[in-house]
Amino acid sequence: MHPLTYSHAALAMAALLAAAPTSAAEPGRLLASQCAHCHGTNGAGPGFEEIAGKDLFNDLIEMKYRPVEGIMERQARGYTDAQLRLIADYLSTVPGNADGDD
Amino acid sequence: MNTLNRRQFLKLAGAISALTVTPRAIGQSTTAPRVVVVGGGFGGATLAKYVRMWGGNVQVTLVDTNASHISCILSNLVVTGAISMTRITLGFDSLKTNHGVNVLQGRAVAIDAAGNRLTVSTSAGNKVLPYDHLVLSPGIDFVPAAGNWNPNLTPHAWQAGAQTTLLKNQLAAMRSNETFVMTVPKAPYRCPPGPYERACVVADYLKRKGRTGAKVIVLDANAGITAEPEAFGHAFNVTHAGVIEYYPNATVQSVDSSTRSIVTSVKTVNKAKVLNYIPNQRAGAIARVLPLNSTGFVPVDPLTYSIAAYPNIHVIGDACAVPASDGKPVPKSGHIANSEAKICADAIVRALAGEEPDQNIATSSACYSPITDKTASWLSTNFIYGDIYDANGNVKGKGMHRVDIGEAAPNMIDGDSYEDMFDWAESMFADSYV
Repeated sequence: MHPLTYSHAALAMAALLAAAPTSAAEPGRLLASQCAHCHGTNGAGPGFEEIAGKDLFNDLIEMKYRPVEGIMERQARGYTDAQLRLIADYLSTVPGNADGDD
Repeated sequence: MNTLNRRQFLKLAGAISALTVTPRAIGQSTTAPRVVVVGGGFGGATLAKYVRMWGGNVQVTLVDTNASHISCILSNLVVTGAISMTRITLGFDSLKTNHGVNVLQGRAVAIDAAGNRLTVSTSAGNKVLPYDHLVLSPGIDFVPAAGNWNPNLTPHAWQAGAQTTLLKNQLAAMRSNETFVMTVPKAPYRCPPGPYERACVVADYLKRKGRTGAKVIVLDANAGITAEPEAFGHAFNVTHAGVIEYYPNATVQSVDSSTRSIVTSVKTVNKAKVLNYIPNQRAGAIARVLPLNSTGFVPVDPLTYSIAAYPNIHVIGDACAVPASDGKPVPKSGHIANSEAKICADAIVRALAGEEPDQNIATSSACYSPITDKTASWLSTNFIYGDIYDANGNVKGKGMHRVDIGEAAPNMIDGDSYEDMFDWAESMFADSYV
């Protein structure tokens, strides 16, 4: 099992949804794939900032609750806090392309 | 072979209604499960890629009538000559080499839903493709008004390619004091901001080329600007004031392409220099053998994009109708098609493993629209699966509820957004095709 499923939010979400066994998909993978349109498949570019291999939960929460400055403040408002936790946890485990473009 | 018509399809569906259609699970056979995808636009390409990425030992075949896909995204910039057609031409080679997708050039002509087979007309004759899951991503077809409509004379340029080039050439031939007339289809249609974006970049082009007195007349079948009303309202009334004339509630009554004339409920234009008539829309042909809603699109389950009678037939992108809260529809866009493809791909992979679909799902769309050759606006919207509501705020069922929507404020319509537009497109193209 994926180590990050032990996070509180992921456990709460799993309990809430009484989720099916996750052999076909890691938690957060499908939600995080929504970021790929602008940040590349698995968050590894091309496009806007590379988001693979980083824990962006605090950044996402900050963007969600601060006044809108651009498109990301809007997109962050499109998910529950628990979903943002799942997205951030998943992306933190995905390798970037290590091209230094962050 | 004749395409199964809806009556035949429904009869066929009724005949086997007592049976439960169970897609084959991995392990039940020694051969890999087969997923067949029709349509190589953003929905179909993304679906093919992500099933291969996430699904392990699954055979995926992508069927498209063309050897490559030409993106509608950024195509208004091809109309004005700002970018080349090459830049929006997206090949399928990376899907083959990077992801092992099989690509078959041909036209899907019939679905044998009971037998789990798709017939494809190719240059080498008909081919029958057996499938465990069939995904249709055929995009749109047009519903033209009465009269004498010929898109080879009056291009819609709402499917990119030769139509885009035709409109580009007609625009380039415009001189001072001539008129460019365009329509905005009745919603729902592909790319809600697209027609307004086109009006802006055409007006901007005419101004930059010194076409004094040239006009852009926008005949909108809707009651008002359907997307980014603030940004496009500002663009029409301020940025391009005196060039763009906007008419809401303009229901098209007849079109004559030979004279480039159009009659609507609020305005008639005879002998426009360019008539960019964009007709009303419905699901692409192969999807119309399936049960349709009143606007000609295919209702789907938001968790799997399956149709009601057949859990292993899925429709994604412009052709599908996703249950949503009243007044908060899921838009038809390349970005949403990419988004829906991932939900559908995950649901198929889970089904093949004998699992239930994920309910903790979200879809999104974001886009940039050029307003001039140096500035762009943006639009962003997000949906989460859960309760959906009627106009009185009462729960009417489950679906994709719009949790956020917003557009660029006037101070955000700038050169940075124009540059961001190309990052956005580059990423979209790569996520779908590479």
